[in-house]
This record gives sequence, C-alpha cells and structure tokens, in this order.
Amino acid sequence: MTIILSICVAVTFAVSIYLMTGRELKSIAMGVFLLGHAANLSIIAMSRTPVRHEPQLLKGAPILTEAFDAARPMSSIVDPLPQALILTAIVIGFAVMAFLLSLLVLTSRKAGTLNVEQLAAEAMQGA
Amino acid sequence: MTTSETIWLLLCILAPAALGCATLWLPKRAIAARTLIALLGPVASFVILAQHLAAHGVSAPEAPAATPVIEWIPVLHLNLSFLADGLGGFFGLLVSGIGALIVLYARGYFGRDEAALFRFFPTLGFFTTAMMGIVLADYMLLTVLFWELTSISSFLLIGWDRDDRHAVKLAMQAFFTTGLGGMFLMGGVLMFGYATGGDGGLWRWSEVLSAGAGRIDVSDPLIVWSFILMLFGAATKSAQWPFHYWLPGAMAAPTPVSAFLHSATMVKAGVFLTGRMFPVFAALEWWSDLIIPLGAITMVAGATIALNQHDLKRIFAYTTVSQLGLLMCMYGLGSLEYHGHANIEWDITQIANHAFYKAPLFIIAGALGHYISRDITQLGGAIRKRPAMVITMLLAGYALAAGPGTISFQAKEFFLYAIYHAQESIGPWWMLLMAMAAVTAVCNVAIFVRLLTTLMGWPGGMKPAAAHGAHDEHDDHAHGHGEHEHGPWAHLIWIPGLALVLLQYVGGLAPGLWGQWFAPLESHAAEAIPTALHAFMHPTLPLYVSLACMAIGAAVGLSPLMRGAIVDMHDRIYPAMYWLAVTGGGRAFRTVQTGRFRHYIIFVLLAFLGAYVASMALDPEMLRWPAVESAFEFIPGVLLGVIICATAILMPIVQSRVVRVIILGSCGFSVVGMYLLYQAPDLALTQLMFEIISVILFVLVLRLLPDTKETDRASGRWWRFTLGTLTGVAIGWLTLVAAQSGAEPKLGEWFARHSYTGTEATDGRGGGGRNIVNVILVDFRGFDTLGEITVLSIAALGVFSLFPRRKPMPTQLEFEEQIAGGAAR
Repeated sequence: MTIILSICVAVTFAVSIYLMTGRELKSIAMGVFLLGHAANLSIIAMSRTPVRHEPQLLKGAPILTEAFDAARPMSSIVDPLPQALILTAIVIGFAVMAFLLSLLVLTSRKAGTLNVEQLAAEAMQGA
Repeated sequence: MTTSETIWLLLCILAPAALGCATLWLPKRAIAARTLIALLGPVASFVILAQHLAAHGVSAPEAPAATPVIEWIPVLHLNLSFLADGLGGFFGLLVSGIGALIVLYARGYFGRDEAALFRFFPTLGFFTTAMMGIVLADYMLLTVLFWELTSISSFLLIGWDRDDRHAVKLAMQAFFTTGLGGMFLMGGVLMFGYATGGDGGLWRWSEVLSAGAGRIDVSDPLIVWSFILMLFGAATKSAQWPFHYWLPGAMAAPTPVSAFLHSATMVKAGVFLTGRMFPVFAALEWWSDLIIPLGAITMVAGATIALNQHDLKRIFAYTTVSQLGLLMCMYGLGSLEYHGHANIEWDITQIANHAFYKAPLFIIAGALGHYISRDITQLGGAIRKRPAMVITMLLAGYALAAGPGTISFQAKEFFLYAIYHAQESIGPWWMLLMAMAAVTAVCNVAIFVRLLTTLMGWPGGMKPAAAHGAHDEHDDHAHGHGEHEHGPWAHLIWIPGLALVLLQYVGGLAPGLWGQWFAPLESHAAEAIPTALHAFMHPTLPLYVSLACMAIGAAVGLSPLMRGAIVDMHDRIYPAMYWLAVTGGGRAFRTVQTGRFRHYIIFVLLAFLGAYVASMALDPEMLRWPAVESAFEFIPGVLLGVIICATAILMPIVQSRVVRVIILGSCGFSVVGMYLLYQAPDLALTQLMFEIISVILFVLVLRLLPDTKETDRASGRWWRFTLGTLTGVAIGWLTLVAAQSGAEPKLGEWFARHSYTGTEATDGRGGGGRNIVNVILVDFRGFDTLGEITVLSIAALGVFSLFPRRKPMPTQLEFEEQIAGGAAR
C-alpha cells in the first residue's frame, strides 16, 4: 500500500511542479492545488496504516471506544498525529487557494492578462 | 542588603529619564522650572548612589556585594540586581554628576530656545538612564540591554539637528558602528554564559568576579572567543582604531551632547567594560596581545590627527580618541606582572582625570562657538572678549598637556611607569610603546601651547587662513538664534566647565584629598598618590620623558609646522561600507530577485535536490530498497492510486478549462477515498467538504477569467518535465523510505494514551475526548489550530477586501478628477 501511495506522491508532485513552472497563472494555481494533495498524501503515508485486506473500513481509526491504556498495543490503531497535521493543512490549503483565486480574478481584471511573462514585463516597466 | 536596596538603585537608574520626561508636562515657557526638574534627575541619582555607597561601603573586588535579586526574566538570565562596587559606583557618580552639570550647561547653551530644551531634557535623561544602567547592572545581559539603549539614545542626541541631512548621516554612522559592537557584546556574553555552564553558568558580574579564575577555564576556546567578541563591543563603543571615525563624526551634535558623550559616558562605556572584564580575562594571553596594540595605535592616531585640525570640537574629539586609546592600553598593560603584582595603579583616577578636563574643554568650545567662533584660527586674542571662558579653557588645556599641578600629571606618570615596568614582560617592545606615548604627549602639549598663544593673542598663535570661507560650518548651532542672552542664566554656559576643571587642581595640588575620595573606589591603589613634587625629587626615566615631551611639544606648538586642517582618511570607512551594503547589495538583490515565479521555484527545487543528493551521499541507508509489504494485493487502494495518477497526468494534457476542473475534482475525490483507506474519517470528511467548495469556486472563478490558451506551451516543456520528474521521484522515494523506516510513532502514542484518560505523567488528567485527532487539534496542539483559524480569517478578510461589494473604488485618475472637480466647485 505504501508503495502505491509513494507512486501517487511522485506523480502528483511531478505534475504540480510541471504546472507551476508554466506561464499561465491558471496552471500555476492548479499546480499549487495539486501540490497540497501531494504533500498531504506524503504525510499520511507516515502513519503506516494497518490496512485490513478485507474491506473493514475504520477498524483501526484513531477513535476510542474504551480507554487507550498501556495494555492496548499502539498497532491496533493508526498513528493519529499525521491526521491532525493534515487536517490543519487541508484548511490552510483551502484558505490559500481561495485567496489565490481572488488574486487571479483581480489580476486578470487589472492587467488584462494572466501570462506570467507579460505580467513580469509590465511590473519591470512600472518599477 | 535587602531588596529595598535593589529598588533604590533601580530608582537611581530611572530617575533621570523619568524626571526628564516629566518636563514634557510643564508649560513650554517655564524654562526655569523645566531646567530644575531635569536637573533633579541626575542629582537624585547621585544622591541615592552616594548614600548607597556610604551605607554599604565599597565591596572588595574579590567579594563584590550585589543587591538582592528581583526576578524579571529568569529564563533569559535577565533579572534586576545591581552592583555598585568601586568601578560601577565611581562611574555611576561620574555619569550622574557630570549629567547634572550638563543639564545646567544645556540651559546656558540653548538659551531661551524653548523648543530645543523641550526636546533636549527628555532625550538627555533617557541617555543618562541608559548609561547609569550599564555601569550599575549586575546581570551581564542587563548591561547589554542598557548598552543598546545608549546606542539608540545617543543616535537621537547626535542626530539632534533633524533637518540637517549630514548630521543625520553621522548619527546613523555612530548608531551602526556602536550598534554592531553591541551585537558582538551580546554574542560574547551569551557565549561566556554558555561556556561557563549554560543555565548554571555565570551570568552576573558579581558571580564572575567572585568566582575569579577558578571557575573560568582560560584555555577554553569558547572563553577566548567570548572575550574577543566582548572586546570588539568595547572597542567600537570606545572608538578604538579603526572604529574611531564615529566619534569625531558625532560632533554634529550640539555641544552639551559632545561634552557629555565624549568625556564621561558613551565612549567611556567601552573603557568601563574593559575595566569590568579586567579581573576576569586578564589571565588570557590574548588580553595584553590584543589590547596593548589596539590602544597604542588609537592613542597615536588620535593625537596626531588632533594636532592637524582647526575646529575646536574636532581637536578635542581626536584627543578624546587618543585618551581612550591610552586608557585601553593601560588596562592592556595591567595584565603584565611587575614584581609579582598587577602592573596597574589608580586606574579610576586615570578615567576621572580625562573626564575632568575633557568635559570643560568641550563646554568652553561650545561657549566660544556661541559667542565668537569654534575655529581656532578665528580666536586670536579671545581673552579680551571673553576672559572667564578663556581662562577656564586654558586651565583645562593645561590639564590636557598634563602639566604639573594637575591630577593629569600624576596620571601620565602612572601610565609611563606602567610602560616602563612592562619591560619585564614584553622585552624591547616597551621602548616602542614609550615612544608612542611620547608622541601622544608631544601632540597634547603642542595643542595646549597653540591654544595658549592663540587665545592670549601672543605671537606664534594660529592666524586666520588666507583663503578663509571654507570653514563657515564651524559656527555653532546655537549661534543662529539671534541676540545673546544676558543675566545670570547666560553664565551657565561656562560655569559648569570651571566647576569640573577645579577638581583637576584639587588632585594636582592636594593629592591627599583626592586620595581620600578615590582610594575607596580604586581596586589597584597600593600606594598613596604622590605629589607632583615627589616625581621631581626622585627623577626616573618616565619623568625625563615627560619633561622632554613638554619641551618638544612647546616647540612644535610654536613652530609653523602642522598648522593645516587635514581630512581623516578613516572617515571614508563608513561611507564605503554603506555603499557596499546598499548599492552592492542592491545589485546582488536584483541579480537574484528576477521577479519571475518560475525562477524562484527553480531555485528552491534545485536547492532541495542538492540537499537530497548530499544526504544520499552521506547516508547510503537511504538508497536501500525498504522492506515493503506486497503492493498490489489490496484492490481498492490500487484502483484509487491509478485514478490519482491518471488524473494528475491528464491535467497538463487537457486543454479545456472545464474538463481540467473536473479532472482536478476527481483527483481530489480519489484522495478522499485514500484517506478512508488510511483509517482517517476526519480527513475524509474535511477533504470532501473542501473539495466540493473548491470545485465550485474554481468553476466560478474560471468563468470570470479570459479563456486564453497557454500560447507558448512548447517552450521549456522538456526542462519542466525533467525538473518535475526528478523532484517527483525524489519526494516519492523519500515518502517510501520514511514510511518504511520502522520508527515507532512515539508522539502519536503519547497523544493516544492521553487523549481520554491520563497517566501518571500528567497526574492522571487526560484530554477527555474519544476522537484522538480532535483532541490533538483542540487540546494538545491548540495554538496550532488557533494559528490555522487566524490564517483562515486573514484569507477571508483578504478575499473580502479584494472585492468591494457596494461601489468600486475610484481609480487614481478618477480620484484626482473628483478632487479637481471639488476644487473647481
């Protein structure tokens, strides 16, 4: 399972870099969005899930039905820490995305173009 | 001693600033009242400190008695405790005493200039407080703190003339130079505390002094470096070569500031620090090796440049540099042993000696500039116009020349003896040092002889240069304020100088009395101060040298040699550095900062790949294929993985923007599925919600954007592909290796065990929640979540402010038209 996830991380990361180095701001925005997925997948891979081979979803989710005392082994649940980190990351990623998209709209209105090269040239002229 | 002593000394430190600021509440016209209140500050400091010293005595240097600690920031080893030992107590009295005289002088100097006095008293009080703090603080970091405050307040004082760009530049020069030294000092103090044991280390001067050499391992390179850093701080503050350029530059300040900063306070802070460090670091070989050459070069450089100046304030500024070099050199020589004891005597007298003649010289220079001129060539026969001022200046000048009858003479003898005695340790180098001291003395005598002949109007004095006109800037600041003041207040412009210079003659003519005052403060006063006569009764080499210096100095002063005004080449150091930082830095900045997003990404990724390759080379373990479980058994995982990869790959290929958004959405929903497989229901729910909003948002936004194709898609396609693939593979591999590293989730386990019920480690208290992820978010990492909410709110505010709902903001042009229309109507 980890190996599948690693491949997913590699592919999404590569594509997002490809998009972000492009010249259209729209592509760059999508690249940033995809990068968020890639990073989150990379973190969730660290929780070393005890994936059941039968479809028993949420069997080892970090939700307690009884006290998690010393008697219970850690391997009975997945590591909760990556999940907490990703939850924060999802929310912040969305906030950044929304701000980026509104900047996109504003840029296109003010400058009339979303081409990075043209924008940079204009900025240089302005400076 | 009780805690109340700490509070008293804190009051003693804060009084000048507090009362200086209090003058702001008095009416601007009440000059006399404001002067009195401002005067009360340093006087209160003086009285409190004197009372403290009288009540508790001056502690022995080996067992310094600091006042009890009042905790302020114990974690940073920064608490309130004060040490009024001989050195600190003496400096405290000196600073507050001269500070009081300067308040009076400022009243005479600024005359009836209400606005200037309104601004001056609080600033001066602030500076006095900072200075008192340096000399009385027991915690080393407290000294550093006040040290920085003197940099800031002296910046305000030097750049007093806010409209004069030149003065502001010189104030910046002083600020940056001394501020840089302050940073080095802080580094030195931190390093010292760390080297002596970190949290349990030595953070107080009193501990450092009483621990002595026992706890301080002078062979430890950390100790050596902390000493060098601290010395750098002292050298910049005390204007040691080649950092002395800021001191003459600081003459842009009004004369009360120059008189205060350059006689007793700012520049003496470095000497004070050296004196503080002396008992601790003198055992280092570096001590004498570094400080003696530094001080000696400064001494000669300052004296020779001083001889070639015309502006009185510049002359005295360079003699100050010279004297500071001498004081440093004295401490440097002090570490050399002479017949088994330290080669230093009456060091506090040396420091007091300089303050007692240099402050009057500046005071009278300002007074003469006020009434006549500050250019020595314009002052021929000034005694006929202002006899009292000229006599005061000549009395102080005689002390500058170290003439017999002043304490300066004995001080000079002590210094020459120290050089003479150093021959035991440094061999023939003592002759070079003696020659350097002689050159300095010759210059000082020559300056006095010139002052004497010029001011008295005798033949041989300085004559106005033929092509005069280049020196108009020498007129003093206060000069432009109209007619001179009359009445008793006007005499304040010279009386403080006379009061100080008389102390010189007390020391010179009645050394017994001087000894009574200063011996309790001195830690190196084995023998009583001899009278000047004593030296003549028992002539030795140092006396011959002084006499020869006086003869040669008089000859040089009368001769037509070296009468021009030269530009100190060190004045170029700071402008050159400034140019390098601003212009050179600007060029480097423009080279790196292209303003193009892709270039930044490439920089970041190349740095990442470089670090990646380097770590692979360092740790070959990272290259080994980890033991992974069978990859493709679990069909849902494989399917989701295939969808994620396929949608990602399709993204750059598809052209239609709507299809692109749909693809992005399906990628996101597959990630939701992946979270479910990884037993993360919270993540799946959150991601699902945000994915839906994101897709809607994308569709809405894309509708607002022009549907342009990427015009030059083909360009740079291959390097983008290569860079993306390399980074992707690197991150993927990193993920695989990290996930399979076999590290136990220790932190995760701790969170799991404490999320509902606690253990003994937490006194049985737990988070009280069954959903561990939620407990982590709102409890264990609550601040993290607070930050997250803040980011979300800021983003929401940002979006909201970008799109005004009601009325579009007028563009600049429309706005100007509106204004113009309004004006027309």
